[in-house]
Amino acid sequence: MSVIAPKFKLSGFIQSLLDNIFWILLLFVLIGLPAVFIILIVMPMPVLDGELLTPFLALSYLANPTRILPVIHAFMTTDIFRVMAFPGFGFAALLAASVIFAERKMMAKLQLRVGPFYCGKFEGILQLMGDGLKLISKEIIIPAKADKPIFWAAPVLFVATAAAFVALIPVAPGWVVADIDLGLLAVFAVIGFFPIITILSAWSANSKYPFIGGIRALFQMVSFEIPLILSLLGVVMVTGTLNLSEITASQSNFPWIIFLPIGAIVFFITMLAELERIPFDLPEAESEIVAGWLTELSGMLYGLVQLGSYLKLYAFAALFVVLFLGGWNGPMIIPAIPEQILTEGIEMGPITLTVDGLQSLFGNTITQEMLNGTFWFVLKTAGVIFFIILPRGVFPRVRVDILLNLGWTKLIGLCFINIFIALGLLYAGVLGPGGLQ
Amino acid sequence: MSSDSNKPVEEKPETKPVVKKPEEKSVELPKFEKDISDKIVEKFGDKVEVAFVKKDRVGINVSRENVHDVAEFIRDGLNYDHVESVSGVDYPQDNEIAVVYHIGSYSDPTLARQLLVLSTRAQREENPIPGNDATRLPTLRDIFYSVEFHEREIFEMFGVYFEGHPDNRRLLLPEDWADIPPLRKDFAIKGR
Amino acid sequence: MTTELPADIQSSSSEIQTDKPSSNWLPPGLALQKVDERIMTLNVGPQHPGSGHMRLIVQIDGDYIVACDPDPGYVHRGEEKMAEYRNYITNIPHLERPVIHDSCNMLYPYVLGVEELLGIEVPERAKYVRVIAAELNRCIYIMYWLAIYGIFLGHSTMFMWPTGDRELLIDLMEKMTGARVTHSHFIPGGVRNDLPANFEEVCLRQVNYFEKRIKEYAAVFYDNPILISRTQNTGVLSRQDAIRLGVTGSVLRASGIDFDVRKKEPYDVYDELDIQSIVMTEGDAYARSKIPWLDMMDSCNIIRQALQKMPKSGSVRVKLKPNPKGKGLDTVYKRVESGRGSLGCYIVSDGKPEPYRLKLSVPSFRNLIALPYLLKGEKLGNMPSVYWSLNYWPVEADR
Repeated sequence: MSVIAPKFKLSGFIQSLLDNIFWILLLFVLIGLPAVFIILIVMPMPVLDGELLTPFLALSYLANPTRILPVIHAFMTTDIFRVMAFPGFGFAALLAASVIFAERKMMAKLQLRVGPFYCGKFEGILQLMGDGLKLISKEIIIPAKADKPIFWAAPVLFVATAAAFVALIPVAPGWVVADIDLGLLAVFAVIGFFPIITILSAWSANSKYPFIGGIRALFQMVSFEIPLILSLLGVVMVTGTLNLSEITASQSNFPWIIFLPIGAIVFFITMLAELERIPFDLPEAESEIVAGWLTELSGMLYGLVQLGSYLKLYAFAALFVVLFLGGWNGPMIIPAIPEQILTEGIEMGPITLTVDGLQSLFGNTITQEMLNGTFWFVLKTAGVIFFIILPRGVFPRVRVDILLNLGWTKLIGLCFINIFIALGLLYAGVLGPGGLQ
Repeated sequence: MSSDSNKPVEEKPETKPVVKKPEEKSVELPKFEKDISDKIVEKFGDKVEVAFVKKDRVGINVSRENVHDVAEFIRDGLNYDHVESVSGVDYPQDNEIAVVYHIGSYSDPTLARQLLVLSTRAQREENPIPGNDATRLPTLRDIFYSVEFHEREIFEMFGVYFEGHPDNRRLLLPEDWADIPPLRKDFAIKGR
Repeated sequence: MTTELPADIQSSSSEIQTDKPSSNWLPPGLALQKVDERIMTLNVGPQHPGSGHMRLIVQIDGDYIVACDPDPGYVHRGEEKMAEYRNYITNIPHLERPVIHDSCNMLYPYVLGVEELLGIEVPERAKYVRVIAAELNRCIYIMYWLAIYGIFLGHSTMFMWPTGDRELLIDLMEKMTGARVTHSHFIPGGVRNDLPANFEEVCLRQVNYFEKRIKEYAAVFYDNPILISRTQNTGVLSRQDAIRLGVTGSVLRASGIDFDVRKKEPYDVYDELDIQSIVMTEGDAYARSKIPWLDMMDSCNIIRQALQKMPKSGSVRVKLKPNPKGKGLDTVYKRVESGRGSLGCYIVSDGKPEPYRLKLSVPSFRNLIALPYLLKGEKLGNMPSVYWSLNYWPVEADR
């Protein structure tokens, strides 16, 4: 814990506060307001209280805290909110960032040290921000012989693909960016892009270590994609659908991991390989090939790839939760929002505060089910992420031949066993129509 | 680190070092070690010179013509099988560079304590052109494989070219080293 | 690569054609000629996380190494040349520098050699203090080595644990000598200082805890199935080749040859102590990496014995005359068992206060010859494990 500044001066503190307020106001006027205008003009404006919401109206609402709730509600029902904020990128990036921090602290505890400690008041909680600022402020060095457009594009593509993957994950009932009937196929299609981006980045750097790393990544991802897909077939068979939301909804009584544990284990192992985590971090094996396909990346290009890989980690963990652990399903432990507050307002002594949009906001959008579903989803995802991180503390790296041997022989064999189990359960009538579910 | 090759030799030992001097026979020599030196003398006679016989150490001086044969006998006849250390010693006053092989044995347990110190001397050049002058010795790499890197080191540090060594390249010195071999006595450290 | 390799180690697919070097001053690596489109030359080092302060010029065909040319010398400091300009006492601080983690063992042969040159007999207590310091230093070195071996295999816990547990012994050495790593504790005639008060109890307690702690490494590292599958049967050095290549230390003992200088040619009081000298016969990277770990337990045992047998009081050093010099012309070659193997020191004295010539015959340099031999035909993924299992310390090899 850092000591409170010994040379603390109240005047200096107030001055810094005023400075900050000044800058916030200035930046808000110069950048924030135009940005809000741009967003409001681009966005399709909803109709509020029988009146089309114009940017001017929206801004005037901003000044009135009670009338802002309909704006928030309207915003939350738009697609752009879903893509950018809640089930989409922002939520995932927040979780991914907390994964990085949790990983560092957890590894530190495993290895009998303290980990990030000094940045931020409590347990180095601002370390990640510091790292991010460092990466942003670093110079980006491009190798002279690199294929520059592809080299620049690859990290961006990597993040974009990871974000596309995130978009397919249902977080709570109805809360999914892209609720498509062939959701699982879309997942496979998106995963198929990662090796291509990796090899593009590796090849465009025109350097030896990235090339070897890229080839290794290609090997690894391609050979593990087959068991990955096969291990999920069991779930598809017993549910009869490819829609991820429907698969989640079908697990309201029990998660599929009870019936298909082999599939879950195989999927977990292939997940580690797809994510390039220890013990399968061969494409980044630093004692053999420096940093693998990331060797020539620097500054924020590297930061983007890191962000993308942690988004990918979150998405895979979420996919595991959705397919095997029942997704948002769980006992209702979030209390319902009291009806009285929504309908009659909040009584504070003699005054009764009635807020206009509260009912529509909490009645239609942020429902009890949504909060509860999100809670269970995040809890389960955190559990899966814990088990994804754990091998890093206890395993060394495997070798390429052992890895390929594992992928092509053992895991594929286990996948077929899993499929037979699923078929057996279906034909025996345990699951499927007329069965337990 | 560089040196002035034309700088005169500052440091001269007053007398010749001991490796040339035969041991006084009055002291009672250790028996086992004496046997080893006797076997070599018996085989080669005048060609070898026993420098010293101490506890666990036997010193043999050989001329550069015979070093290969003697080493072969040491390996085949005396069960020594590896070289622990190859050291060059520069003797500017003799105009010679000694190369000392410390030969030991892993396969023969009775010889585990023993080291046979085989010393030979190469001609020394005042203005060395490493590899292209008369400072040459036959390599022992075909007899003791383990001398490979040691002889490479001697080559760069003293300029002794080992004839028959397949890989007479630099080992430790930088690639652009253009001075005289640095462990020779006439290579002076600056400021000393 | 112009080294002739024995016929039993065959390259995987294609042969490297070796041209005779046209010039004798050929820079390293140029002797490797690219003959096949399939072959890629990799410069592993000197700035590479898996190389240490050296360069390995590795040629790979797919995932297989077809040739390897080590290029040491990036940390060459001319210790031998420096020694010729300094007298026998001022040589002490810089001669331990090649391996500062093993500084007592690094000085040991030099000190023994100078004592023989000067004809000094060391007090009994000093001999025991030296043995304790040398064994503690061996453990400190091996812990550092083990940490790097862990991170070379991607096992970050095995990097952190030994680095942390090493502090126990470093604290002990600091208590004993006043310095954490560069102790300069051994001098001709004994050791610099006597042991501090109640050192024996502290040492015994720390060493017992240390031994308990390193036994826990088996669960996380040595019994790890992935580690075993990675290192077993990789880089196998047979008994005959170990003899032929003249390797030393744990590399030699992993190939089934029982050679430990402490046991075969005991110096100081090692002949009064029970030394196990662990030998394994597999000769692979796993055996080579396990022997130092077992050595540490042996060292703990030796320390306990030495603490028990040590005279409780007495002098720890013989006063030397200022500027000691040898008795005329003499040569001496002394060797000790360091953390990496047999470490020799060859001193040629001409009766002056400075050595006429000082040569360190270091185990790392002797083990380096096995590296191109072992790496040929291996997979690229085995390079770090084989390289570091040779117990190679680049700074020591360069001197």
